Amino acid sequence: MGPYLQQILLSSGAGAIFAALAIGLVLTYRSSGLINFAHGAIATYVAYTYTSLQSSGDLPVPPLPNPLAPVEGVFGVEILDFPDFVDLGDGWNKWPALAGALAVAALLGLAFHFLVFRALRYQPPLTKVVASIGLMLALQSAVVIRFGGSRPPPIEPLLPPSVRSSTVDVLGTIVPWDRFVLLAVTLGLTAGLWALFRWTRFGLHTRAAAENERYATLMGISADRQAALSWMLAAVLAGFVGILVAPTTSLTPFNFTLFIVPALGAALLARFTSFWVAAVGAVGLAMAQNVLLYAEIDHGWFPDLNLDAVLPFAVIVVAMMARGQVLPPRGAVETGRLPQAFPSPWRPSLALTWVALAAAVVIWGPFDYRAGVTNSMIGAILALSLVVVTGYVGQISLAQLAFTGVAAAGLASFGADAGIPFPLAPLLAALAATAFGLLLALPALRVRGASLAIATLASALAIDELLFRGDGWFRIEGNPNRSFDDPSMFGVEFGPTSSFPINGDEIPTPAFGLFVLVVLVLACGAVIRLRQSRLGEQMLAVRANERAAAAAGVNVAGVKLAAFGIAAFLAGIAGALNGYKLGSIKIDSFSVLANLSILAFAYLGGISTVTGALYAGTLFASGIGVVLGEELIELGRYETYVAGVALIVTAVVNPQGIDGFDRQQRERVKRWLRRRRARRAARLTAASAAAGAQGPGP
Amino acid sequence: MTPDGAGEPGVSGARRGGSGEPGMTVVLEITGLHAGYDGVAVVRGLDLRVGGGEVVALLGPNGAGKTTTLMAVSGMASVLAGTVVACGAPVGGLRQAHLVARRGVTHVPENRGVLFQLTVRENLRLARLKGRVDTAAATDFFPALGPLMNRPAGLLSGGEQQMLALGRAILSEPKLLMIDEMSLGLAPVVYEELMPVVRRIADDTGAGVLLVEQHVDLALAVSDRGYVLSHGDLVMSGPAPDLLADRELLDASYLGLNR
Repeated sequence: MGPYLQQILLSSGAGAIFAALAIGLVLTYRSSGLINFAHGAIATYVAYTYTSLQSSGDLPVPPLPNPLAPVEGVFGVEILDFPDFVDLGDGWNKWPALAGALAVAALLGLAFHFLVFRALRYQPPLTKVVASIGLMLALQSAVVIRFGGSRPPPIEPLLPPSVRSSTVDVLGTIVPWDRFVLLAVTLGLTAGLWALFRWTRFGLHTRAAAENERYATLMGISADRQAALSWMLAAVLAGFVGILVAPTTSLTPFNFTLFIVPALGAALLARFTSFWVAAVGAVGLAMAQNVLLYAEIDHGWFPDLNLDAVLPFAVIVVAMMARGQVLPPRGAVETGRLPQAFPSPWRPSLALTWVALAAAVVIWGPFDYRAGVTNSMIGAILALSLVVVTGYVGQISLAQLAFTGVAAAGLASFGADAGIPFPLAPLLAALAATAFGLLLALPALRVRGASLAIATLASALAIDELLFRGDGWFRIEGNPNRSFDDPSMFGVEFGPTSSFPINGDEIPTPAFGLFVLVVLVLACGAVIRLRQSRLGEQMLAVRANERAAAAAGVNVAGVKLAAFGIAAFLAGIAGALNGYKLGSIKIDSFSVLANLSILAFAYLGGISTVTGALYAGTLFASGIGVVLGEELIELGRYETYVAGVALIVTAVVNPQGIDGFDRQQRERVKRWLRRRRARRAARLTAASAAAGAQGPGP
Repeated sequence: MTPDGAGEPGVSGARRGGSGEPGMTVVLEITGLHAGYDGVAVVRGLDLRVGGGEVVALLGPNGAGKTTTLMAVSGMASVLAGTVVACGAPVGGLRQAHLVARRGVTHVPENRGVLFQLTVRENLRLARLKGRVDTAAATDFFPALGPLMNRPAGLLSGGEQQMLALGRAILSEPKLLMIDEMSLGLAPVVYEELMPVVRRIADDTGAGVLLVEQHVDLALAVSDRGYVLSHGDLVMSGPAPDLLADRELLDASYLGLNR
């Protein structure tokens, strides 16, 4: 019992940060109806600001206030003399440094509200989720750009040394005193927030504005002001606890940002309403995680499945199953509209041109371009899977990349281990991904919007930890060299190393590129066909209004299951292709952050059209867009930052993505041409009429 | 559009001739109002005036633009042309909508504007942005609210919700009270009881009341004057007894027969 008790008590550092993030999430949601995926990133940024102020007196300036930052960063020049850091003397004492860092937090909260989220108030959840993911990517990469990816220099912790060094004996277990202090501070903050909401005018007004902004406005409440204040409060809260726990939990730009996942689990448990449930749930989650972690290390019989990392997923799914509703509640009507899902007209000449172009690049292009186009085509298939599930049915999935992982691992099992021949092995692998997709669709039957995004994010994490690490099904860590044979049919090989008459000596050879092109064309055709089919119409009906669709006889659950299944199958195909391309599987490619950027880039390309998926493919990591970007300009470490900012701007200014923007411009040109033609015709008629009036006709 | 009103100092204290009684303060002055949504006018060229202590009925069939008029006064619908001066200052756009309420305009919207997740007491506390709220004034008008103080408003019946909405309106001590379709979804016995309360509010507190109502006879019975809208145009206006007397014209305006 002793060591377990110790584990439980030691977990309070993590528990404190989970809880602080969770109550911050509840606060932001209650005041502005937004689930802020960037909340952990805010804590990270503020903690690093404190570190910098305290150790060297330098205030980091994020790249963005400098309007030319993206350009400067990309081109590696300095046009405006904008400092990376403002030198504010030598290292500060800890209290002034704390005040400074929290002031930065408040400013950040204010800026996010006014620049980003106020504009998104009436947008559908997807747009808000994408914007907050963009913010998360931008903030996290701002930290990396300013401080590097490593741990910050050691700083003086906030707690006095007497607290840090003393220990207490709890039932024979020695526990550092500071853990109790952390726990007490967190619960104190929770109590404060609860009291604020329960008893103060601010709380009453925020609750009123959250329930009905219009009515609140009629009563003289400025919903905007309430939301701005809450944003500041949430950012300060996250920053404060971030600074507090930074010495006891390892602070890096990545792990703090990802603390958002258990915090989201706890907030969901609290239905984004109760501060107490969120805080206690978060602390309990941290304790349970520590116990599981210890059990995995301590007992040989306990499966090493990283169950601690899977726990948030389990909590989230249980919370959703228990509290979700089969149909959205009355009145839960989305105010904004999702991007339009145009049926793609079949334009053979255009399609053939692009296919020919891609084939030409794949066959004759230089190595970089060949690889880039091949990667983009695989990425486009992955983006197509999001077009189906998110674009057509409106279900936000943050787990598509996990399905590609399942398929790649499945390919290793079926193809490499079991020796199943080519067309069957990848199909079986994709079907394995489909099975996971259907499993994941189960929460989607009961929850929707941003909550579903959380569930899928947590399942991506669970699949990652459960299957690819430790004793998991695919055991990649211990066995990195499970390689695949090149695919072949009828004696013709078309893997990355297969021979090809032209450029056959460089890997990947044109044979593989052409193979991927064929698969992409088939996938595009299938999705276009799907959009035009009855099922596609039902999907759009579900997207528009689940209740109305159900009333019109659409099997909402069935449509959702079908969408998740089809999407997972497409993602699985992409995963199998990726597996063939790499010749083996790598785990890094399925991480949670990567999952988030997949949705983000698909949205950027245009989430609801096949063309948008093709655009998205060019944007994905190591796609042709990035290859071109590297060629023309040095994106380098600014890549994530620029992507994050681009996402925010897209969500605010142009929710239709690149494809929608492109369509609008084409429409505009067409209209202009039509008008010009009409004017010219009118002039001609007028002229001929005048000529007719002047003289006798011929 | 018209310079009248907007720039005039101390409108609320100014004496106005015309329809209202002499010496009456004007709490709402609408001149040549075109209002609507997304740039499309729903109300066209409306002139309307409400003085302190008087009850003015705004009547008309569905889609006439009654609710839009109230929304324009509250700053929630866009004013495309003309001016709205409420409690002494012109009404701005949606961004400043909450400022209209702070000047003393209380708007009870069509669905009563009751916040279901808050208790009755909390709903009443929202009546004033600053200072303490003495709920006694509301329970004086509506004793039925007394025992319901700690109940979430979502659990109240329709009539109780309407009492709560009116109670909150009384506590907010408005200079201008606008009530949209008070009778909607209520049993006749309930709204027949509520109508005289509206008259009492105007008489006791000196507030000007603009009453949007489908039940013409009930509304005119408690009103001083009335305006009838049809398809966004003002078709008739005048003292309530005159409107009631010219029953034929009133019916015709509802049925769109007057043109």
